[in-house]
Amino acid sequence: MAAALLHDGLQSARGGTIVEALSYALEAAQPAVKEGFTVREERWGGDLAAGQPLPIPHQLFKGNDYWFWMGTDSKGATISVHIYDKNGKLVEDEFWQKGQKAAAKIRPKRTGTYYLLVEVEKSTEERTVWSLAYGFR
Amino acid sequence: MLMSSKIMKPRFLYARTGAASATQLHDAAKFALKVCLSCVSLSSALLANQPAKSIVLKEFPKATNLVEQVVVPVPSEVFSALDKLGKQGWAEVVRPQKGVASPSGGKEQISLLLGIVIADGFVAVEAENAEEVKAIGNSVRTLAKTIGVEKAVSRRANSIVEFAEKRRWVEVRKELDLALADVRQAMQELNSDSLAQLVSLGGWIRGTEALSTVVSKSFSKDGAELLYQPVLVEHFNLRLQALPEVAKSLPVIAKILAGLSEIQPLMGKGDGEIPVKAVAEIGRICGELVTAVSAKGL
Repeated sequence: MAAALLHDGLQSARGGTIVEALSYALEAAQPAVKEGFTVREERWGGDLAAGQPLPIPHQLFKGNDYWFWMGTDSKGATISVHIYDKNGKLVEDEFWQKGQKAAAKIRPKRTGTYYLLVEVEKSTEERTVWSLAYGFR
Repeated sequence: MLMSSKIMKPRFLYARTGAASATQLHDAAKFALKVCLSCVSLSSALLANQPAKSIVLKEFPKATNLVEQVVVPVPSEVFSALDKLGKQGWAEVVRPQKGVASPSGGKEQISLLLGIVIADGFVAVEAENAEEVKAIGNSVRTLAKTIGVEKAVSRRANSIVEFAEKRRWVEVRKELDLALADVRQAMQELNSDSLAQLVSLGGWIRGTEALSTVVSKSFSKDGAELLYQPVLVEHFNLRLQALPEVAKSLPVIAKILAGLSEIQPLMGKGDGEIPVKAVAEIGRICGELVTAVSAKGL
């Protein structure tokens, strides 16, 4: 399962690990929440093999600021999320990676379809569970 | 911050007074080499974490679960963007509840209506109309009960009413978003993923109607651009096409499929420039769909 819409009650095949991955994503969101970002209740989650990024299409609106926060339950894994426009051009304003968390920010110049490229860059596991949340203001 | 890296050129250090001795030069060279190697190592590390400046989307395996990957924005997300363009006439687009919504039709129609009513809640919050928000909270509870997910939203419905009474609009928006999420989750737990999608669709239709109406009244290119949502139209089209045949053949679903096929060229053209006529047309189509879903005996 590369990616699916996630609700807190959903379990991965390994049980409970998407919830844990989400907890890291939401932990990453906290500083932005203090700055007025609203975190959406719908998220993405799944499992990926290392080195096989997945582009997730998403609608963004000009005028809003957005943060995307990614988390994994796998200690030692390196994950990343980046934002591309519909032509495949990197358009994020900021990104960071730290431990089991990663994030990217954008103030889109146009309304439309963007792609969130999530990747497990390295991991000791064959497939690594991840979760992605987002917020806007 | 995106990290930039530089490869530093080694610099040899000389004492300012007098010529440097051979030992001093040797030490300086060793130091410079160490600095140089550190920079190369750091640069490599930095470069390794740099994302590709561009990707070729076609080269990624066609996502068989594209349909599952799309998260539908809540109305407050697009309303938030529109509000940044200036004060909008939200009061004019509130759809009075006239009491508690009365369920009509099968589960598919009621699920669509539930989504519409939740979206009505977001519109009423924009208009800061506490009485309408309270009526909507009660309607959400009634509609949810009809399709067996009352337990999931009861707490949310109570919170919506409570926060509306106190005019705490940020909390009302949060509870509306949570209500949407709770309803969808409850439906998925009942193995009714298709009904969960219909709730999202109902909310999107009503939200788009409200957005179109507000933008039409005070047209701007930036406001109209907010309607440029090709990925969402495609998503809903795919979801409806994937419904069981029995559901797909329902008149209300057929109407929506027809409506989406009319909306798609209006919303998906070009680079997001949506002319004033297209905005009005999108509003008209969505308005008709809201009316159709809300009709009794369909």
